[in-house]
Amino acid sequence: MKNLNTEILVIGGGSTGTGVAWDAALRGFQVTLVEKRDLTHGTTGRYHGLLHSGGRYVVKDPRSAVECIHENQILRHTHTQCIEETSGFFVVTPEDEGDFPDKFKAACAACRVPCTEISAQEALRHEPLLNPRISRVFEVPDASADSFLATHLTAQAARQAGAQILVYHEVLDLITEGTEQDRRVLGAKVRDVATGEEFNIYANMTISAAGAWAGQVARMAGCTVNIIPGKGVMVAMNHRVVNTVINRCKMPSDGDIIVPIHTVAVIGTTDERVSDPEKLRIEPWEVQLMLDEGDKLLPGLSKARVLRAWAGVRPLYQEGFKGESRDATRALTLLDHQSRDGIAGFLTITGGKWTTFRLMAETVVDKACEQLGTRKPCATETTPVPGIEQGHYWLGHRLHEVEENRLQGELICECELVTRGMLEQATQRNPTITLDDLRRDIRLGMGPCQGGFCTMRAAGILHENVTLGMQNMKASPDAELVNRKSQIVNPEWDVAYMQSPAHNATADEVAPSAQHSALSTPNLLLRDFLQERWKGLTPVLWGQQLKQARLDELIYLSILNSDHLPDADTISPLTDFYHFDGGTSREAESDHA
Amino acid sequence: MLDLLVIGAGLAGLSAAVAAAKAGLNVRVIAKGQGVTHWHAGTLDVLGYLPLTDAPIQAPLAASQTLPPEHPYRLLGETRLRDALAMFSDWLAASKLAYPSSATPDQNLWLPSAVGAVRPTFLAPQAQLAGDVSRPEPMLIVGFHGLRDFYPQWIVENLTKQGYLARAAFLPLNMINELLERNNVQLAEQLEPPSARGRLAAALKKLCQPGERIGLPAILGVNEHLAVWQDLQTEVDAPIFEIPTLPPSVPGIRLYRALQQQLMAAGGRIEMNMEALAFKAEGQQIQWVETATSARPLKHYAKNFLLATGGVLGGGFNSDHTGRFWETIFDLPLTVPQDRNAWFRHQFLHPQGQPVFSGGVLVNDHFQPVEQNGTPVYNNLWAVGGVLAHADPIRERSLEGIAIATGISATQGMIAQTHAGV
Repeated sequence: MKNLNTEILVIGGGSTGTGVAWDAALRGFQVTLVEKRDLTHGTTGRYHGLLHSGGRYVVKDPRSAVECIHENQILRHTHTQCIEETSGFFVVTPEDEGDFPDKFKAACAACRVPCTEISAQEALRHEPLLNPRISRVFEVPDASADSFLATHLTAQAARQAGAQILVYHEVLDLITEGTEQDRRVLGAKVRDVATGEEFNIYANMTISAAGAWAGQVARMAGCTVNIIPGKGVMVAMNHRVVNTVINRCKMPSDGDIIVPIHTVAVIGTTDERVSDPEKLRIEPWEVQLMLDEGDKLLPGLSKARVLRAWAGVRPLYQEGFKGESRDATRALTLLDHQSRDGIAGFLTITGGKWTTFRLMAETVVDKACEQLGTRKPCATETTPVPGIEQGHYWLGHRLHEVEENRLQGELICECELVTRGMLEQATQRNPTITLDDLRRDIRLGMGPCQGGFCTMRAAGILHENVTLGMQNMKASPDAELVNRKSQIVNPEWDVAYMQSPAHNATADEVAPSAQHSALSTPNLLLRDFLQERWKGLTPVLWGQQLKQARLDELIYLSILNSDHLPDADTISPLTDFYHFDGGTSREAESDHA
Repeated sequence: MLDLLVIGAGLAGLSAAVAAAKAGLNVRVIAKGQGVTHWHAGTLDVLGYLPLTDAPIQAPLAASQTLPPEHPYRLLGETRLRDALAMFSDWLAASKLAYPSSATPDQNLWLPSAVGAVRPTFLAPQAQLAGDVSRPEPMLIVGFHGLRDFYPQWIVENLTKQGYLARAAFLPLNMINELLERNNVQLAEQLEPPSARGRLAAALKKLCQPGERIGLPAILGVNEHLAVWQDLQTEVDAPIFEIPTLPPSVPGIRLYRALQQQLMAAGGRIEMNMEALAFKAEGQQIQWVETATSARPLKHYAKNFLLATGGVLGGGFNSDHTGRFWETIFDLPLTVPQDRNAWFRHQFLHPQGQPVFSGGVLVNDHFQPVEQNGTPVYNNLWAVGGVLAHADPIRERSLEGIAIATGISATQGMIAQTHAGV
């Protein structure tokens, strides 16, 4: 068994975990991060994409609001290309009565959240689909953020500072020593999900940034952390119905926010306590509630085409809290298990928002320094991640580059404007085990057809690159008979320009990688990705989107007959990833019968 | 006054219209768009897998009569199904787009798909026949670098796993195309000039070993298809077959054009971009159907009306978030549950399919839409193809068979019943 030694072991590859790895590595620590699936597979990849101004929490949860506005201003400089400067409105609809708007205005001032009241008329000029009966509008510095890209960039910055990031590495147990009263965590026993290999990672400090899964990690250390898993359902509309983040000006509730992100607009969210962060069934009433509430902000919204629904779990935490998850604080929580539970070498950072991930990292690494007896100042506030010279994200970014560089023929995902070069670079430079990994990397399959066309193409390209070295293709551009396995090349992780069609226009310098090819036959890649997309479609399939699903059936059943491929019944170790959310229909039970 | 107004220009509507026009009826086809024909594989699938067990079917005509009694094929009976398919392939042969029938009259063909699965079909265009996996010659599957819808090594790997002899090869795409876009239809058009065919033939000749047959993506010409395919076969001196690709479908477009030609030749008309918006009935008799056009609404009066608007994909149905699911023109009685919870299974590729897609319009064995109690909703309305209940044509691989056979049979029945034309 190979063992690893490191100074700081981080558990969890979401925004917080990568943030911790980045922060600790910049301070000069030797860092290893383990994530049981892909980066952002948990809550980070399942939120609506709001960079909070803090406005949402100024009245109800001012501590969280103060954290948000502080971080909002920092992330614009450190993660520039992940953020679109949409601005945000808090609007008072006829249903939002009373003195809340005035309280809101005062609370913004108290929390130092910049807030300007503008006329309803001016707001309607910016957002013509808004309910014309709104009475007051407050503008705040909300923005939309690409949490997939941001996490990859944070991980990239961490690696550049020397951190080791191990995805698809699952923590089986924590290694502890000592007695019940005087215990120390020495590291973790982990398993490489792709190869099945198990080994130990020893560390001076183990930091749990496992989000909704932090309770499970704490249990391995022998202590109890009662995370309040608050499920939030989000619904993506097929069109970007607004260009500004729209919030209802009232106490935070269900379905009161619409975030324009990339080509879509996301309505969120519900908040319901669930028993297990991996059981995320979406009920029809939840989708209905989002649409009904959305209609109050944008009348007629429920008649527009819906793209997809999904759910994420907030890792809320409040020591001793017994109430509804909606009422639990959104402020970050640091658990020092040494003083709390008598367990040394182990810290948990939880709660918080995506917006505050950097602050969460800073807070927990400060504590780690203290316990390790060193003084190393935090540097993340002033250290940008790679690639910020691209400037803020803007909606036409990909189309502009595709047109300028005449890449139309290279498009393999027409919905999200993903070129073959982008796909190949992402495959080479990020560990890719499933097509869903590529979705998180480059938005493959996230558009209206939900993988209808690009699933087949992506599986084909991955297979082609594994089978036939692209260098071989380059060496003899004429007919090339195929019988060679390419060499496995250690991929360089470089994601600063992963989203840029122009930057990936010439992909042929990258050698193909055969990593994990034994696991990921194209037939399984195809089947699993179609299933993954289906899971998020069924709660919202009607009208045009139902028609789209039927076209996908025409392609994958009638034209390709892909339900009768060899290996169709094979279970890959990764297959269950696509079933863990459970079904959305009653069929889930009867299918097993 | 029209004898027959056909609504929908997919395979069902066109089959009905050609049958009516050839019988001497005054027929017009109106359609919102071109239907699913431009997307499908271009083959005529009759029945590939049994609906409940997913068992592969060798003899589809016989198997069609083992389906549940409400299935459109059971309403037709084997004879009407067989006769309609024979009539349809005669029309195509007359348009020089042959779909030869096999030596055994009730036998599915098994052809390689673009991911190397083997797909069952009943009648295939001549240019797909040499892909028949029961033939002994090894296959050479040739792709083009950078063509996004065709991956020869994947096809070969899967064919090999299933025990068929195959190998893969590539050609440069610029041999046929210098355009920015790489749409299959554009590529097919680029192959039409004799010089382009010649270049491709020379390259294929170099690749191909004696005794091999060559599989290519289905881009061998659109209007000049027959010449392109025949020239390549002659010059390379090997059997060449097309493998259907992702939509848009070149074989589907050829099929559409051949039918369009048959309809025109028989005196029928197709009018596109006409979405039916309203209709008027007096008692049990439909008077007219109104369509949207750029200038003004247009009323189409006819003695008889035939609904061939397709299933969910063709546009015959619509649905909303409340779980309402309706037939888009006449709001006919449907078998689909008005509850979204009952529409889907949790598995996309579930062998029994998604329940919502096997619902549709209830008809009697004349293909007249009926109420739950079996009485016709209107005396002069027929419904055919994808709108019919009790079949999931994409899942069963019966899409074209149901469309063609119900389209032709319903029209023949209508003519017999109303003595409209003859």
